[in-house]
Parts: sequence; structure tokens; C-alpha cells
Amino acid sequence: MTGVEVRDLGGGYAPGRDALRGVGFAAAPGAIVGVLGPNGGGKTTLFRALLGELPVRRGEIALPAPPAYVPQTDRARLDFPVSAFDVALMGAYARTPFWRRVARADRDAARAALARLGLAEQAEATFGALSGGQRQRVLIARALLQDAAVLLLDEPFGGVDAVSAARIEALLAELRAEGRTLFVATHDVRQARGWDQVLCLHGRQIAYGPPAAVLTAATLQATYGSELIVLEGGRTAVGVGHHEH
Amino acid sequence: MAPYLQRALAEMLLLAVPGGLLGTWIVLRRLAFFTHAVGTVAFPGLVLASAWGIAPQLAALASALGFGAAQERLTRGRRLAPDAATGLLLVGALAAGVVLASDVFASGAGVDRLLFGSLIGVSERDVWLTAVAAAAAVALDAALRRHWLAAGFEPGSARALGLRTAWADRLLLCGIAVAAVVALDAVGALLVGVVLVVPAATARLLTRRVGTLRLAAIGFAAAEGVAAVLVADALNVGAGPVAAVLAGTVFAAVAVATSARAVAA
Repeated sequence: MTGVEVRDLGGGYAPGRDALRGVGFAAAPGAIVGVLGPNGGGKTTLFRALLGELPVRRGEIALPAPPAYVPQTDRARLDFPVSAFDVALMGAYARTPFWRRVARADRDAARAALARLGLAEQAEATFGALSGGQRQRVLIARALLQDAAVLLLDEPFGGVDAVSAARIEALLAELRAEGRTLFVATHDVRQARGWDQVLCLHGRQIAYGPPAAVLTAATLQATYGSELIVLEGGRTAVGVGHHEH
Repeated sequence: MAPYLQRALAEMLLLAVPGGLLGTWIVLRRLAFFTHAVGTVAFPGLVLASAWGIAPQLAALASALGFGAAQERLTRGRRLAPDAATGLLLVGALAAGVVLASDVFASGAGVDRLLFGSLIGVSERDVWLTAVAAAAAVALDAALRRHWLAAGFEPGSARALGLRTAWADRLLLCGIAVAAVVALDAVGALLVGVVLVVPAATARLLTRRVGTLRLAAIGFAAAEGVAAVLVADALNVGAGPVAAVLAGTVFAAVAVATSARAVAA
């Protein structure tokens, strides 16, 4: 597997105004890249660019294969009459001809993906009836079915219970060991310290590199600006406002 | 059984297929207002068609396509919300229809039939057209239901899942427009929702999976349609209004029963 390489990326939805600019980095296979930045800082926009959905005006993106995407759970309709299994199965839709049922191998894979995330017993539960953390895990199971070399996870730890967070964290480590490249948008600076690379965004790229080199007070200040809170003893915390959609 | 009654029953049973299949997606994708509008905008077209001797389905389809194009134009650039644009076009079409019917062509009694449908008015050709629309709805649903499900559940990931949902969604709107057009003769321009929205909305109260929702919606549409034809014939009133009263009553009864069950549980 080859990694992900982005050179001098710039683009945005509004004509003539870039939501994101000056982004350039290389991520090796088997790496977890933490993507940090304030709300509206360009984390989701970067993911849209990697998915080929953002009007890109400058630069280049090199990917080994189309990435899989795990959205924030609040983007999914909770009133839809679908089970956790139905949602996981959506990951196999693209390779299923319309006149066929989804293949037995894919249905087995959907059950296995749910079991891997500790949801074997919730497979037949209605998606909207699950807890926020369980819903997040179902959406990750859906992405697992795509068997993608690159995964983009949009704040997978946001509003998630401790059990779900531990499951997700363990899964990320497994996927890294399988040689996949993971991009994880997060607000948790401490968590990002445990990953391989960190990308700081604030409309443009502030920094990219190993956590020890990137996660300095100065970089965090430049990334989060007024949202950064400096605690006693020089420790920092990020105060993030309510996420508006 | 009188031939007109046979035709009316066949028409209602055939309408149950697109009514149940597309109705499921209308309810899940929140397209009930669009569906109502696409039927209503046919009204001025139908008045012109009857005055000029054009096939009513042709005029209705042209109105529906014009509505779709106008809707797209009005909402482009997001200056107007889609439901506001729909409301605007709906009122405009209704007003244009009334002016054309009463002041330009003096259509008189014909207007009732166009707005609320007629049993006796269902011709053999109407039944055949409905059969074709029913077959088309089955084919569309078979080919695109996974796209409609994935895009409706969570639109942001559809492309990442490798699905081209923009085209699938456009075809859904076209399918709804065609279903509304073939429903016009039996239930009328103002009441297409009786076949395309209410049965699926009722089934939605009772089911927890898309598969059972579709079957139950077809069942409700067929049973309510047949009952409406028989009652309308016995009482000598329009089938559309009878179907509306029946379907509304069934929906209310199911809603009360399911909420009582939810309280008891």
C-alpha cells in the first residue's frame, strides 16, 4: 500500500473564497493522523477534498484508493426504519449489482464488522434506538465493509460513552496495524499525542508532523486562537463551542 | 359488475403499486409536500387540455416537468428554500387553473372532476397507462432503492460509499411525477396524496423495517382504494374524496391505536 500525499491544496464551495488553503503533507501507510482545529477550521472540508467532493482550485491529492468516510453521528436520520445491520451493509452497496441481493459474503462481513465493534447483539436493533456511541460504532462498521486503505473519521469520539471510546480506540490501533492510513478529526489534544502525526488546521495548514514536534503551546495558540484556554502550570485546554450545522 | 366499476377497481389496485412503493420513499425522504404540489400544478394544464382536446396525462406531465424546472431555477443559489418555492408554485398553479377554468374557458362542472377525480371518467386507456406506471415504479424501486435508502439515511456519505445518488434522486422525483399524473383521473389533482402519501404514512406507524413498510403501504393503498370505489359507487359521489376520508380515518385509527400501545408498554 502507498500512503496519502497532498501538495499545496486550496479550494472551497463558495466561488472565489477558499475554505482551505496551503495544505501539504504526506502520510505513510499504517499511520494515524490526528486532524486538529477549531469548528469551521477546515477539518471536514479537508475530508471532503480527500473524498473528491470539494471544488479544488489548487494543488494535488494522491490517494492509493478512494477513502471510506465515517461522518459525525448527528448527520444520520434517527427516524429511518433501518437496523444496525442494514446500515453496516450499506458499505457493500457499491459492489452489489442492483438486480441481486447483497452477497452472502458481504452479509457475513457486516455481522463480523459489528461484532468487531462489540455490537453483535445489537445487529437487529433499530439504528435510532441505539446510544450515540453505539451509533458511531455502527457507522464505523459500515466503513469497515468498504475495506478501504484510507479511512476518514470525523470526530468519532465526540459525545461518545467511555465503552464506545475504548472500542473505537482499540479498533483504530488494529486498522493501523493492518497498514491502513487513518485520518481522525478530534478536539482531544491529549489523545492526539498518542498518534503518529498531527495536522493542525485553521483555514490553512498551521503545522504537520509528529505530535511531540507539533503540539507546542505556540502551535496550539495559532490553531485555536481565542478558543484555547491556558491552564495553571502551562497546560492547555481547548474550549469548543456548540457545533452548529 | 358494470364495466366502469371494473375499470375503477383495476385502476385503484394498479395505483396501489406505485402508491405503496414510491409512497414509502415519499414518506421516508419527506417528499409529501412535493407530491401534493406536483399533482396540484397539473390543474391549469388539465383545464387547457380539456379545452383544446389534448390528452390530459400529456398536459399533466408537461405541467409537472415545468414545475420541476421552475423549482430547480428558484432554489438555485439557495436564495429560496425548496418548500417555499414549492408553496409559491403551488399557489400560482392553483390560481392560474381557477382563472383559466372560470374566466377563460367557463369549464364549469369539469373542474370538479379535474380537482377531485371521477369514477366514471376512468377509461381503458387510463388503466393501461396506470399499469405501465406501476411496472415502471417496480423497476425504479428495484434498481434504485439502495441509493434512495443510503442517501436518505445519511446524504453526506453517499458518494464516499461509491453511490451516485444525485441521479437516483432525480429519477425518484420523476417517478413521483409520473405516479401523480396517472393518479389524477381517479382521485383528482388535489388528492394524489391520498394514494401516494397516506397509505405509506399509515404503514410507517406499524412497521420497523423498509421491506415490511413497502408491502404494508401497498396493502393499505389497495384495500382503501377498493373500499373507496365501492362506497363511492353506492353513494354516487367522487372516488377521490371518499378515498381521502377513508384513508384519513384509517390513519387516525392506527395512530391512536399505536400511541395507546406505546403508552401501555
